Amino acid sequence: MDLFLQTLLNGLLIGGVIATFTIAFQLAFGVLHVIDFAVGGWVVLGGYLGYYITAWLGLDGFLAIPLAFVLFGALGYLIGPVLYNVRNSRTARPELMALALSFGLFTLLRGGMLTAWGFNTRNVTTALSGESLAIGPVTVPLIRVVAAVFAAAIAGGLFLFLYRTRYGLAIRATAENRHNAALMGVNIGRLSANVYGLYAGITAMAGVLMGAIYSVNPEVGLRYTLFAFFVAVLAGLGSVEGALVAALLLGVIEAFVSTYVGASYSLLAIFTTLFLVLLISPRGILRRGL
Amino acid sequence: MAPIDRSFSRRRFLGGSAMAVTAGALGMPFVRTARAQAATFKAGVITSLSGENILGGNLTKQGYDLWADAINAKGGVEVAGDRFKVEMFYGDDQSSPATGADAAERLIVQNGVDVLFGPYTSGSTIAVQPICQKYQVPMISGSAESPNVWKAKPEFNFGIIPAVDTTSGLSLGVLAKLSKPAAKTVAVISVNEPFSKETGEGFRDGAKAAGLELATYELVPPEGDLTPIISKIAALNPDIVAVGGHEEVLINVVKTSKSLNYRPKALIMHYGITNPAFAQALGADADGTTGVVVWLPTVAYKDDVFGTAKDFAQMAQKKLGGEPDYTAAACAASGLVLGDALKRLGKKPALTPENRVALKDAIAETDIQTFYGPIKFEKDGPHYHDNIQPVPVLVQIQGGKTVAVGPKEAAAADYIYPLPAWK
Repeated sequence: MDLFLQTLLNGLLIGGVIATFTIAFQLAFGVLHVIDFAVGGWVVLGGYLGYYITAWLGLDGFLAIPLAFVLFGALGYLIGPVLYNVRNSRTARPELMALALSFGLFTLLRGGMLTAWGFNTRNVTTALSGESLAIGPVTVPLIRVVAAVFAAAIAGGLFLFLYRTRYGLAIRATAENRHNAALMGVNIGRLSANVYGLYAGITAMAGVLMGAIYSVNPEVGLRYTLFAFFVAVLAGLGSVEGALVAALLLGVIEAFVSTYVGASYSLLAIFTTLFLVLLISPRGILRRGL
Repeated sequence: MAPIDRSFSRRRFLGGSAMAVTAGALGMPFVRTARAQAATFKAGVITSLSGENILGGNLTKQGYDLWADAINAKGGVEVAGDRFKVEMFYGDDQSSPATGADAAERLIVQNGVDVLFGPYTSGSTIAVQPICQKYQVPMISGSAESPNVWKAKPEFNFGIIPAVDTTSGLSLGVLAKLSKPAAKTVAVISVNEPFSKETGEGFRDGAKAAGLELATYELVPPEGDLTPIISKIAALNPDIVAVGGHEEVLINVVKTSKSLNYRPKALIMHYGITNPAFAQALGADADGTTGVVVWLPTVAYKDDVFGTAKDFAQMAQKKLGGEPDYTAAACAASGLVLGDALKRLGKKPALTPENRVALKDAIAETDIQTFYGPIKFEKDGPHYHDNIQPVPVLVQIQGGKTVAVGPKEAAAADYIYPLPAWK
């Protein structure tokens, strides 16, 4: 029973960790209509910022979180319009062109990081690194709790922003129908830049947490891109609230399969779940995706 | 008699230039022939000089070059009373096995090398072996550690480092002897990828030979979260946790274990802890981690070319600016094998195809002592043509430094067992 409870907690916390970067990924897809392969690149960049804050300045890795938002948010704001223009160009298959561009951006980020920082694996140290809390028979890793709370806060904040503000209304309107939104006076180009900036900033913040929970090297970006894609498909493309549910579900499946069946079957279990959900509900687990 | 016109004209200038270029071009082959008269043994190095394995690729190249520099400084390889220098040629496998095979073919066909020094990765080595077989060119591999390289029974390839299944397996026996009170159980985690899985299988099989009970054997995907596995192992509470994986997984095992407040009495990993980045990434949490190496600068071996292991380490430090690891040492020792085989063969360069086959047979008969340790290749079985002579040395991170702790004759410090609880 102890192991069962620990496994359940592990799964929910893994889900929380995955949700940190998949929520913003969904937002970017909803507005830009691009599956951004660069997501793993932004996560890793955030992780490296966390590492250098610790290694060079001797500060707590958590201090990199707001800095990651500002720095990579600004970079995303500059890149966003390029992606937007390619996605809405008059070429035959603009969606494929945008996909290729995001893949190119990912390759560029990965290659740039390899050249700049090499292949070695780095670690982000925070005040909570390795700290845990014993609640009865269950051990709770505190840094994962922080990541789960962070994901919930980002999801809640985005939800409020999207449904309680005029700008959020504009974003939803753009996601719903770009042309009609433009006719109503929404500056689609600037809005896309803002949304991509917001997404890149949030993802890089999540990257600091990922670096603190796991470790960071330029090669791990692909893993995060894959997970974001899994969650997005399970959640329904563009569904922010679905991302939270899907991430938690995947986390719990991974934990239980790893503990009770064998870790080498966890990916198979995830793929099977993905397949079944697509079969039963193609618009995602909450039936709210595109 | 008409006066000779020595004035400058465009026609004369062009004519003169053309003649000079023609004469130069005609003369070049003679210059080349004159240079080529100083016979050398040509050795080709195939390794990763670009791509994701560039760091390891350079380690192998540096090791091979250290031998070439050392032997050339002595006038070259001794053959029948004369000395012949060694000329190195390089082929980049770009961290891809298929490109490695192409590079090997190019070195053999275009550069006409007499012998090859093998790649950094086992995958590339496996891809190059058929090329060696096709052209009947011997290869000495100073790095490949996968048992699959030798299971293929390569006629022309020879390995200096013992396959990882032997070293990881034997290391558990060494650890079990050092542990007080004696360790009884072991849990093995291995990443589901070729090298790591073979390491894990070595630990799994070695447990039995060491008299340890296998609590669990967990195969994990490279991208998986380790929390469920560590939770499961914590519930089983084995004395030793052995991990087959590269640096990133090793770091994550330590971090996840600490976050779950679980520490086994011993944590052993085969590869990665000797990379300074491991201790740097984990800081004090890396302390106590045990690793396995097949060579250290402190081992008590020596030879005529490099001197003692310490002399070799100093030479490498001077040329490379850092302490050499066992891969660089094994690659340098590959050259010693070649030098010894050429001396016994007694054939001067360039080697004929028949002599290259004879060189392969001479390498197979190697039985020498080097600064790296004893070298003698297996003549049969699953480790065919691999040098499984070296006994693995256990190292442990103590106070941020990697020190030898076992077996007793190689130990520089006491082994810390059991590990204390996390601070």
